[in-house]
Amino acid sequence: MAKILVIEDEKNLRLLYKQDLERDGYVVVTAADAPEGVRLVEIEHPDLVVMDIRLPGMDGLEAMGRVLDRHPRLPVVLNSAYSSYQDSFMSWAADAYVVKSADTDELRSRVRDLLDARAAG
Amino acid sequence: MSEGRRPVLDDVVAIVMAGGQGERLYPLTRDRGKPAVPFGGIYRVIDFTLSNCLNSGLRRIHVLTQYKSGSLERHVRIGWGPIFHHELDEWIQCVPPQLRVEQRWYQGTADAVYQNVYLLDQDRPRLVLVLSGDHVYKMDYAKMIEAHETSGALATVAAIEVPVGEASAFGVIAVDEQSRITAFQEKPKSPAPIPGRPETALVNMGVYVFETQALVRALSADAKRETRHDFGHDILPSLVDSGRLHAYPFHDLNNKARPYWRDIGTLDSYFEASMDLVAVEPEFNLYDRGWPIRTMARPLPPAKTVFAQEEPGGRLGIVLDSIVSPGVIVSGGRVERSILGPEVRVNSYAKVTESVLMDGVDIGRHAKVHRAIVDKGVRIPQSFVVGENEEDDRKRFTVTPGGVVVIPRGTLLD
Repeated sequence: MAKILVIEDEKNLRLLYKQDLERDGYVVVTAADAPEGVRLVEIEHPDLVVMDIRLPGMDGLEAMGRVLDRHPRLPVVLNSAYSSYQDSFMSWAADAYVVKSADTDELRSRVRDLLDARAAG
Repeated sequence: MSEGRRPVLDDVVAIVMAGGQGERLYPLTRDRGKPAVPFGGIYRVIDFTLSNCLNSGLRRIHVLTQYKSGSLERHVRIGWGPIFHHELDEWIQCVPPQLRVEQRWYQGTADAVYQNVYLLDQDRPRLVLVLSGDHVYKMDYAKMIEAHETSGALATVAAIEVPVGEASAFGVIAVDEQSRITAFQEKPKSPAPIPGRPETALVNMGVYVFETQALVRALSADAKRETRHDFGHDILPSLVDSGRLHAYPFHDLNNKARPYWRDIGTLDSYFEASMDLVAVEPEFNLYDRGWPIRTMARPLPPAKTVFAQEEPGGRLGIVLDSIVSPGVIVSGGRVERSILGPEVRVNSYAKVTESVLMDGVDIGRHAKVHRAIVDKGVRIPQSFVVGENEEDDRKRFTVTPGGVVVIPRGTLLD
């Protein structure tokens, strides 16, 4: 069963993503800030990371850079309330960029596509 | 508006890859990277690429360093920094590895640029010119950028025409009739010829113009794959299928029969390229005022020869068929077909032939130096002989396959 790490500082969103992704059949671990997220990647060895960009402790793009430096092939979904980060070249290292919305449909669909592709590839 | 400030060039940032270790130039690269190796008396290898930038009107340059970069960083900062005007949004800067997490060297040329993608994010140029700081040639990058813009390509690769028989040593580019690149061949046994010209192949010069977004996209994708993270091997081939990857024929500004582009990769090729410079009609012309090669200016006195005792046994300071840098004193010694770097001193009755003496080398009285490269500051003692007995030389020094003796910096002789 694929394991997903969700890095999200808003408690309610963290719970929502955990609940919805678990319902889709994944194991979900969560972190509330970027340094904790970066640390958990090493401990939990997730198959995919969903991360917010505006995070306490460290910018999410910076955190993604650190994670990808060690695990270049780990799929990362950036999940932000702001679409403007898509202009940043640093965000282009992500496998997907999802703008937060009222439901988790798009997020879950991108997660599924990436994990399917990873399983196939 | 002056000619050197063309609007299109305001949209271009140049990235010079200057992290090359230059292992095959060891021991000249023991304390410096390849781009910082002195060449032609007063220059460093990187000066040729930087002069091309300057002469092409490019004024925004990142120099990516990594390996023993102190000497290069100093050269660029002191020698090149002051002629770029920050107020006009012009700059040249050395960028060392940022070592975000892993303390490691760049894994390839593409990794070097990818690790510094934040610079492009700040600069936001429309086009990126990727260059190597290792090569010696003269090229107007502005013309290549114009051709790139006209073609509508995502990336354009400069290519030099080489006889098919000689192309196997290089990265060869296969093109169609419209100069679109169809394949890359790395040191191929049978190089693809140019359509309609079976005797000629195109060789990748390591000079690339990219649409910035296409570059970042290709680098980001490559970073996630297990590749060599190399422009020629991975990034450019990944753009072939787009049909928007073009070759640009190298227009040599050196005005000689054969186009001149050298990767001074080995000690022997370094030596040969140096000896070419002292030929009466050198292949590479340093004296073209239309394409000046500049370097760090140093306030040194003019070169001088002393003692004109032409009678047998007299002291005669004489220099023939040679390049003589500022601050040199040839005091009663004889120099032929050699390059004397700044502040070299050749003392009485010494004889220097077919050699490269770098800054501050001192040749003692009655010493003989033949077919040697002597690195900065080495003192050759009185009556010492180099280059006459290969067996003796091998015991103490590096001797190249071509029989050139290399005496590295810091060598103490008695």
